[in-house]
Amino acid sequence: MNAGYFNVTSTEILETLWVWTPFLASGFVWNILISLAAMLIGTLPGIILARMRLAKHQSLVHASLVVTELMRNIPTFVFLFYLAFLIPVEFEFSGQVYAFPAWLKAALALSVAVVGFVSDNLHAAWRHWREGDHAAALLFIPSWTSYLLIIVMASSTASVIGVDEIVARCNVIIAAVGRDELMLWIYLYAISYFVLFCFPLSRAMEAVKNRMQTRASSALSKKKRES
Amino acid sequence: MHQARGWGLVCLLALTSILASGEARADRLDLIHKRGTLIVGVKADYPPLGMRDANGQLVGFEPDLAAELARRLSVGLQLTAVTSANRLQKLEEGAIDMVIATLGDTPQRRRIATLIEPHYYASGVTVLAPADTRLSRWTDLRGRKVCATQGAYFNREMAERYLLDLQIFNGIRDARLALRDGRCIAWLYDDTALVSLRLDPEWANYRTPLPSTLVSPWAIAIAAAESGSRLEHAIADVVADAHRSGWLIAAEQRWNLPPSSFLAEAHQRWTRIGTDGQPVCARLASGEWPAECRDASRLTSTEVSGLRHFGLLIRERTGFDLTFVYDAYDRGQFLTGLWLTVQLLVACTLGSLLVGCLGALTAESGIPLLGGWVRATAAIGRMTPPLLLIYLVFFGLGHLIVTRFGWPVDGFLVATACLSLYAGCSTVFALLDASVVLKGRQPDFALRWKTLPQALRLAYTPVVAILVNVVKATGMASVIAVPELISASTAIVAEHGNTGVMMNVLMITYFLLVLLVVRLFAALERRVLQRDVH
Repeated sequence: MNAGYFNVTSTEILETLWVWTPFLASGFVWNILISLAAMLIGTLPGIILARMRLAKHQSLVHASLVVTELMRNIPTFVFLFYLAFLIPVEFEFSGQVYAFPAWLKAALALSVAVVGFVSDNLHAAWRHWREGDHAAALLFIPSWTSYLLIIVMASSTASVIGVDEIVARCNVIIAAVGRDELMLWIYLYAISYFVLFCFPLSRAMEAVKNRMQTRASSALSKKKRES
Repeated sequence: MHQARGWGLVCLLALTSILASGEARADRLDLIHKRGTLIVGVKADYPPLGMRDANGQLVGFEPDLAAELARRLSVGLQLTAVTSANRLQKLEEGAIDMVIATLGDTPQRRRIATLIEPHYYASGVTVLAPADTRLSRWTDLRGRKVCATQGAYFNREMAERYLLDLQIFNGIRDARLALRDGRCIAWLYDDTALVSLRLDPEWANYRTPLPSTLVSPWAIAIAAAESGSRLEHAIADVVADAHRSGWLIAAEQRWNLPPSSFLAEAHQRWTRIGTDGQPVCARLASGEWPAECRDASRLTSTEVSGLRHFGLLIRERTGFDLTFVYDAYDRGQFLTGLWLTVQLLVACTLGSLLVGCLGALTAESGIPLLGGWVRATAAIGRMTPPLLLIYLVFFGLGHLIVTRFGWPVDGFLVATACLSLYAGCSTVFALLDASVVLKGRQPDFALRWKTLPQALRLAYTPVVAILVNVVKATGMASVIAVPELISASTAIVAEHGNTGVMMNVLMITYFLLVLLVVRLFAALERRVLQRDVH
């Protein structure tokens, strides 16, 4: 592609991107940390909901289904604003003032989707486990990791409430550089972080899943033959 | 000196007569006429609204208004310097007849003094930023570092309404240094106070790019006991006339104040002629101003009727400020937002399906390079955060298109295209997976236009999950200023500060919309399955 067409030379583009790489890369670390926090925060209630769905009491099962449905249908992006506006910036607890950082609000908002995911998938895995199909149950692990990648992509929305992650940093760079022609390249460069991080990992998780599935089905047929 | 003591005596007499007889209430207006002088408290330290000139005389916008009042009452004028700390105290003591001293109208102040409507001026909050900063909307500052000065009453409110990352500094000098060194991108300050700063050459390269917000109207105050008096009536008439005749706007220009939108709107409001050919803003039989001529935020439920009465009643009883129900402007804004969101939902759902189907058909078309290219693009598209895609297309490509062809890009179209592309890429894979399964069942199966429904039916669950996700993500259009539901709600919060109410309404509305979409798809699924059975 002829970069001159866009009124900037390719050296200029590469130079700008190179200079700002450490800044953008450390922003991306924030995306991963927020996503991991969201996964951890969301998994625990998810486990409880999944366990409730296997309970003997119908009321427990019913309650879990209602909560899971609620979690599944809450729009994360709107919830992000909801938490950003309604959780105070700092709060007082027994005389001490604690700050409530924006990244934690973002992680909380993202974790809502994780609760629904874990409740649904772990419920299925748990049933497989009880039925003795351990291999199928273990498929939960690669699924959970694949879901982490979805959350990493969603973590880019944290920028709208002022979390200092990669997308917010793109906008900082654009303001600092002050060259409108460079916007396109800065955003493309940021996208490449997500693609290069998520693509290999998601491929790997698919491969793991496939191998586990074939092993599971061969184990199952072996069991059938033996009996 | 003698005179002062004389007035003090008169005041004392007036006071005792008020205390002595309830029915024959002495009006301060009589006292002023008897005395032949109007005593007004004004500021001495707030240029150009109230300040001292080279001769030590009190001059400015507010002293001019005081002079106009005295002229209309046909009495002399005596100005007294007051401060923010002592102005209401002096008024209560009776040392002055009224206060015209940058006094913002608040419910707390209404309890200790009589504040006169119409208001004569208004101040708001704005930001000062270097001339080359790109700022066009308050939301551009969301999450950004903004300098503020310690103790400003609006700091907390602004941080909460606009989600600013405030850096609090001790004084004006510190804030200026921080702004110059780039430790914050703008400085939050009172817009009337910025006027005098602007004259300082050190601030020459700074601008105020944003419209003032948190606008608080200023009122002339008289003593609490004078509520409903002829004095109140007379002052209100003078101020109303000053709005009608453009006197206030002329005074604003005389003192080099920047044009205030408050005065322009008030001039328009007070000169409006109704359908009957009579001025709309004339006193009612009760002596009150009609509700539409008053500041909407100062009304109480007893003064209005209809939805507005209902809304204000709820606010007074419970504290829930449902402005989007009773305020016609907010209601319009909210409903427009809701309608745009519904349009976005439909457009993105259909767009994603279209991209998904076309993509899957092309990938399976058997054309050698094209199929592989579509698969690779879809794989990358699936890994691209939609928010970044929206920024890329709207700002990155949008800039190119505007500079080369002069076409401004439409935010709604960009948001729909980007979200459809993102969800479409996932849909491609869902359909391709279904196609693999179908090929296993029927060896001669090929994904074509005719067999597409078969694949769609098999991939129904994952495709619906993708579509529900894109519906949940439609709010992202708000980042490029599409006035949908989130934009509308945050704008109302910014205007009224009813954060709790608006955020809950937004959350519930969006949740119900998503639920509606989920239920619609479930109903569709039942019908499709039933048709399969028959």
